[in-house]
Amino acid sequence: MTTRGIDYASLSLKDALDLAVLIEEEAQERYEDFAAQMEQHRTPEAATFFRLMAQNEAKHGEELAARRSSLFGTEPKAVTREMIYDIEAPDFDAARAFMSPRQAMKAALASEVKAHAFFVAALPALKDAGVKALFEELRDEEVHHTNLVTAELAKLPPDSGLSDEDFVDEPAAQ
Amino acid sequence: MRKDLVFGMAGSGGDGIVSAGDSLLQAAAAEGYHGVMTKSFGSQIRGGESSCRVRISTTPILNPGGNLDVAVALNWDDFLKFGAELPVSGNTVVIYEAATKILEADIPLVGVTPLQVIAVPIAEMAKATAGTERAKNTVVLGLIAGWFGIGAVAVMKGIRKKLAKKGEELVDANQRAFDAGRAFAMEHPLKVSMNVAASATKGQVKLITDGNDMCAAAAIFAGCRFFGGYPITPSTEVMQFFTDHVWKYNGAVLQAEDEIAGIGAAVGASFAGTKAMTATSGPGLSLKSEMMGLASIAELPLVIVDVQRGGPSTGLPTKTEQSDLFAAAFSAHGDVIRPVLAPTSVADTFRITIEAFNIAEYYQTPVIVLSDQEIASRKETLDPIDTSQFKIINRVVPTGTDLVDYKRFKQTDNHISPISHPGMLGGTYLASGIEHVESGAPTNSGSVHQRMNDKRTKKFDPLKERKDLFEVTGNPDAPIAILAWGSVAGVCREALEMAQAEGINVKLMVPYLLYPVAEGIYNEFFRSVQRGLIVEQTHLAQTFKLLRMHIDLPKGVQSLARSGANPFLPTDIVEALHRLLSELQRSHEGQLQPQE
Amino acid sequence: MSATCEYQAKDYKSDLKPIWCPGCGDFSVVQGIYRALAAIGRPPHEIAFVSGIGCSSRIPGYTTAYGFNSVHGRSLPIAQGIKLANPDLLVLAAGGDGDGFSIGGGHIAHLIRRNMDITYIVMDNQIYGLTKGQLSPTSQKGRTTCTSRYGSLEEPVNPLLYVLAYGAGFVAQASPTDLAGMAATIEEAIRYPGFAFVNIQSPCVTYGEEAQQIKGLKAISENLTALGHNPADRLAAMDLAQHYGQKLHLGVFYRNPEPAPTYDGLVRERQALLSKDAPPAENILDLFIKK
Repeated sequence: MTTRGIDYASLSLKDALDLAVLIEEEAQERYEDFAAQMEQHRTPEAATFFRLMAQNEAKHGEELAARRSSLFGTEPKAVTREMIYDIEAPDFDAARAFMSPRQAMKAALASEVKAHAFFVAALPALKDAGVKALFEELRDEEVHHTNLVTAELAKLPPDSGLSDEDFVDEPAAQ
Repeated sequence: MRKDLVFGMAGSGGDGIVSAGDSLLQAAAAEGYHGVMTKSFGSQIRGGESSCRVRISTTPILNPGGNLDVAVALNWDDFLKFGAELPVSGNTVVIYEAATKILEADIPLVGVTPLQVIAVPIAEMAKATAGTERAKNTVVLGLIAGWFGIGAVAVMKGIRKKLAKKGEELVDANQRAFDAGRAFAMEHPLKVSMNVAASATKGQVKLITDGNDMCAAAAIFAGCRFFGGYPITPSTEVMQFFTDHVWKYNGAVLQAEDEIAGIGAAVGASFAGTKAMTATSGPGLSLKSEMMGLASIAELPLVIVDVQRGGPSTGLPTKTEQSDLFAAAFSAHGDVIRPVLAPTSVADTFRITIEAFNIAEYYQTPVIVLSDQEIASRKETLDPIDTSQFKIINRVVPTGTDLVDYKRFKQTDNHISPISHPGMLGGTYLASGIEHVESGAPTNSGSVHQRMNDKRTKKFDPLKERKDLFEVTGNPDAPIAILAWGSVAGVCREALEMAQAEGINVKLMVPYLLYPVAEGIYNEFFRSVQRGLIVEQTHLAQTFKLLRMHIDLPKGVQSLARSGANPFLPTDIVEALHRLLSELQRSHEGQLQPQE
Repeated sequence: MSATCEYQAKDYKSDLKPIWCPGCGDFSVVQGIYRALAAIGRPPHEIAFVSGIGCSSRIPGYTTAYGFNSVHGRSLPIAQGIKLANPDLLVLAAGGDGDGFSIGGGHIAHLIRRNMDITYIVMDNQIYGLTKGQLSPTSQKGRTTCTSRYGSLEEPVNPLLYVLAYGAGFVAQASPTDLAGMAATIEEAIRYPGFAFVNIQSPCVTYGEEAQQIKGLKAISENLTALGHNPADRLAAMDLAQHYGQKLHLGVFYRNPEPAPTYDGLVRERQALLSKDAPPAENILDLFIKK
């Protein structure tokens, strides 16, 4: 989780909305990337889950983008993708070969927690009331997502407790 | 009057023997003679034994000649170190340094009585006239002018030109040394006159160069604009010529940090769309073999010049051999066909090098030019070459519809796919050493591997029909045959003429294309053959074995093979032909006699 | 340079599916490269991207540039041949730590002293992944791998100090802990007029040690700008580079404030000078005429 060049004190509502869209976009791309990696490595259940996550992020992104456009039309953006990294997107190495659906969900859960931490950390520095409200809303959404994923996790049968490494083939030398 | 003379001179590096040979060759060319000069050295960088052999003739020369007509020994230890490279016979005039204090009757040549032996106080004359013993080589040139009528005017004209910048004093000292040598010769005439007839082509323009320079010049002519390489004897002059000239044609040279980087840069330049080459000798060829495999599978045009020397390993770095044949044909792993071409003289190095680039570009393949130390370092006088007869072939590039959904390794009727290069819009692809599908995308499919191997090997089928890459002389139906390539070919050409003059019914094949083996062309050649010789300078008879691997040689075809630095003389070949002839006669008689 | 800004990161992404293990750090590197190339805006067909052999050396195929996945350790000689044949191209080279600092280690010094305008990206994961986890030149001393059952007996190479010592004009480090920073660093490396080196700590999820995964890297990473490092100070850069292995310094270690002339530039000058009044190449044999 990295940010650069964001001045929270002077963040306008337009910038905050744009930032939120970028955060969702980044997460969506990462989940799509993970889904492709899982498909490529014959792990369809995890792939399906990551696709679902990508769709969720896309949906949130679209909702936020719609709000932005209704409030500010096509006014130019002042924030860029370079300002954020890994806010809601899982870390690059969160994917693993032969991930079980439970492991995939755990990876997603960790990123929701990470995103939550980001909004919590940013709140004290915010000055604009509208922005503050937006960040609180987004923070609460992350809590909601976390609860949703936790509930889904609970539905899954427990992991065997055995290590996958004891069953899968060794990597193939190339 | 003679039409031909072979000089052999030996001394230590300080005696300037090679420089004298150069002057003699240039003077001979100025006087319209044909000439060939070869050099051979010991292993010291300075001051070791050195020798040269200069053959001068009124007619075109096929090889550096056999036994010496004139032997010049500035000291006997050095002369004898060259052994069979400087053979003395009963027809040789031996000139040697009187300061060696050896009597004419006691010269250390075993088992031979030369035609005439003359001790000359060469060093003394040099000291007396030029003020330094270093002028010995100029005295020798004076002796040669006096006794054999070559270079009386042209030698000093050449020296004058060469030394003009260094001042009158030096030129005059040389003139006095030269005059003294010439006067000595006049005062001591030979028992049998050995003057060479004047050349009919006197006054005509002649070219003088060696095989390495010729190879580099041919490459530039063929459009090569990049050289990547590493210094290695005896190929380094190819790179040197490039660094002198290629910039003028917007080309570049990279003297790389090692042999691998040298060929690697050439592979890169070729990928970028430029004709590229590298040059090396045996040990470097081994290092380059992985990259040659890469160029084969990535189907990138590239020319690799291998100037062979005695091997394996450091072997005999200053002497000639033909023992890289297997390495040229077979080095690099995997199933690969990589064309190997061999020039036989300085003159045909021009044509063969151009041919190598044309084949590389047309077939999109690395091609080896298998030269050797003798051709590479020997100097020849040449008549001007009509360069307009040489066609230059460039790689086929994708155009128009090829660039819609471009497939770099597209299967085509002739197995050759148009090749794009960076900068070309629509042509982007992945070149790789890994097996790939038509688009260039990596694969590990066995069936694709089979298909791509087919593509990469079948594309060479037309090359094996190229009769113009084989020279056949003599009676096409002759029952006796000789086959030789590279620098040995010239010896065999002369042997053929000698054998034909004796009435032997014989023919000679000189292949310029050594690999892939053109089965059809060889089978046709050997159809009439009952006895034959495969002549080569390899210890293991590599040419003989390579041919047997691919074709059923007639039973009577034998190998005549010896290690490098043991040159063949035309008379060696003729002797072997006599043996074959009598075998053939005996077998015919055997067939005629009724069995009991 | 025909720099335009009409390209986006996705324009540099090819259709090939990476063979990398899920979670491999190289997935981030290729993203970083897409972004850097988009920022620079050269059309893909004017880019030549060369690699050697190894997991990371598959990377050119995942871009839409002209790629060359060559032989082990030899990306740099090939890249140099490309640059000399056509200096107008944007030439990138990439590979792993074994490719660059073991089998191909001899080439780096010479490319640096030639200072060709080539950007070299090493994906450093301290292990041989493609051959299943052997000791690499950057593996820590004492590390246990399948070729060092009882621990490695040798010190690792320090890639940063190595290239700084040979006089590289641009030396930087990046990691997947900061993709935007990585993209910016690669972009700056490509824009540097001369040889530029970027070491990217790219974790191996299959054979890498826990401490070298992203979480571990985050714990030891420090941004050079935040540290107040002056990238024009080569000695300070070397001082910081000594901490390779213990600290993960991200950003530009050294950027020569007065870039030296490039070899490819000098070649062009020489060609321009000598090709004036040159006799046609068809007459090359005239050089051998003796009158």
